Amino acid sequence: MSQVTGAQSLVNSLEAAGVDVMFGIPGGAILPAYDPIFDSKIRHILVRHEQGAGHAATGYAQVTGRVGVCIATSGPGATNLVTPLADAAMDSVPMVAITGQVPSLAIGTDAFQEADIRGITMPFAKHNYLVTDPADIPRAIAEAFHIASTGRPGPVLVDIAKDALQKMTDFKYPTSVNLKGYQPKVEPNAQAIADAAALITQSSKPVFYVGGGVIKANAHRELLEIANLLGAPVVTTLMARGAFPDSHPLHLGMPGMHGTVAAVTALQKSDLLITLGARFDDRVTGKLSTFAVNAKVIHCDIDPAEMNKNRFADVAVIGDVKHTLQALIPALKAALAKNKPDLTEWLRQMNSLKSAYPLGYDKPSDGSLSPQYVIERLGKISGPDTIFTSGVGQHQMWAAQFISYENPRTWLNSGGLGTMGYAVPAAMGAKVGAPDTTVWAIDGDGCFQMTNQELVTCALNNIPVKIAIINNESLGMVRQWQTLFYEGRYSNTSLESKRVPNFPMLAEAMGCVGLSCERPEDVDATIEKAMSINDQPVVVDFRVHRDAMVWPMVAAGTSNDDIMIARETAPDWDSQEL
Amino acid sequence: MAQHTLEVLVENSPGVLARVAGLFSRRAYNIERLTVGPTANPEVSQMDIVVSVEGHALEQVIAQLDKLINVISIKEIKPAEAPEVHDTQPDYQN
Repeated sequence: MSQVTGAQSLVNSLEAAGVDVMFGIPGGAILPAYDPIFDSKIRHILVRHEQGAGHAATGYAQVTGRVGVCIATSGPGATNLVTPLADAAMDSVPMVAITGQVPSLAIGTDAFQEADIRGITMPFAKHNYLVTDPADIPRAIAEAFHIASTGRPGPVLVDIAKDALQKMTDFKYPTSVNLKGYQPKVEPNAQAIADAAALITQSSKPVFYVGGGVIKANAHRELLEIANLLGAPVVTTLMARGAFPDSHPLHLGMPGMHGTVAAVTALQKSDLLITLGARFDDRVTGKLSTFAVNAKVIHCDIDPAEMNKNRFADVAVIGDVKHTLQALIPALKAALAKNKPDLTEWLRQMNSLKSAYPLGYDKPSDGSLSPQYVIERLGKISGPDTIFTSGVGQHQMWAAQFISYENPRTWLNSGGLGTMGYAVPAAMGAKVGAPDTTVWAIDGDGCFQMTNQELVTCALNNIPVKIAIINNESLGMVRQWQTLFYEGRYSNTSLESKRVPNFPMLAEAMGCVGLSCERPEDVDATIEKAMSINDQPVVVDFRVHRDAMVWPMVAAGTSNDDIMIARETAPDWDSQEL
Repeated sequence: MAQHTLEVLVENSPGVLARVAGLFSRRAYNIERLTVGPTANPEVSQMDIVVSVEGHALEQVIAQLDKLINVISIKEIKPAEAPEVHDTQPDYQN
């Protein structure tokens, strides 16, 4: 066998793992790897900041279902990947990050650009490696891709010392991966499936509580089948938007802090939560001790550690949720044939709430632009095949609320970590993963100013994403909390981004088309103009009024029972028979 | 709080002690005692961990420990009883 450098072995390994694109920036310690990358068939997209590489890898992974890959150098290159790695961990996104490390003999000497990135990422990476022997590179890469993409997906970091990249080694990619301490349980326990089916037939107020795991597991068809089979209402969390068609009559919308009254109340009043790939996050449950107090719980998840973590599971079904549903559907069919609960009254109550409290917003009396209107029109004009990404804040919640999602993998956001600046680089990765699909980033003026440098990358690499800046010249969600909980004392939330920067000029300077819109009557024409440009990235500065708030709202730490539909306005519970 | 003794077999790889100790720290579990020693297999080390937790929290500690890739198996050693075996991918919740 002819010898190759460790760097060549790394690139061969990435090719063997099926990588077709990676996002990165070279630097000293990773430089040996960039020489064989120059000749590789893998497309390397040179980003402008490592954080952009990380979120692009996440966007690519979420759209394609494949492992996203990013690459950076040691020290600051690696530490700039920390946020995307933490983000991918919280949202269970399969991702492999490759970092260069200082030469093995220099490790521990505070060498130039040395940072213990394995130690830094240990708390949140699904796993990580420090490779100092070139012979270990193929195994580390094979294991990293296996770990990232199986079980509950997540980020894996492979840190490789510079001398391991430079030394000669034999390249031999492992044909299989065998990890004694890692054997994810894919098939559900048969008894658990039987128990789940039995519990469902005893329920008169069941709800499908659907999380992002359904999308990760490609289980949306099975979800549709079981929802139709039982005829029970469905709620989709922020991470699960698109897992179940918004147009489906059983869909009550998103639950949680900014969920619909119907979705939040369905969980609260339910007697059985059929939980699929969801994790009882605090943004969904509100005050945990008051969450769905009369409900039993069937918890289906591939991660055993999610069982009984926040909420006791009466029936815990550990396994891939697609396999779980494939087993549960026939079991439920058989059980329903003997005993089909009557859900008519339950559905009537929930549909009554759905029609009494639809999502809505007040148009400003001064004729200025509503952020919700802009987002609603973007969804309508662009259509259900479009991929939307968002940053974090008010615009994210409105994008989750006012766009109809019909298909999985069309809504990408930072749900768990809440990473401002996610939208632009995630859109870049999404567009690379789905080049024939329209990709809109719905961003805030605050978020946009954190990561817009990647538009240069998009302009130079023929990645024509579209960016809608919902410019309310504020850190809008923080400002909303100041309005509601800090007596309107707007400490450091005014960004003045209608004055500076000039977003269209900034966009033009980065090789994009820059547009601006501030009148409701111009919204459709502006969106259509942006839709007509497909050879360049487009940035639209939608200048919206700053006082719009996200409703409904369950204030942090309070009970879902205290949901408000507007300031100091609770739903009229007396008129509802619940 | 009740003390529980866990006998944890781990891969003998660099950083494994940091992984286990870091998990206890970030999830706010109390370690009363932790010892690490070799086993007959040079690729495997044994950690004996004494934790103070109640009820379901012990199940969480074990489940979270199990998620560490380098953790091979976890046994709870009950005083004056045979050890209760938790294999690495437990279906003890089922």
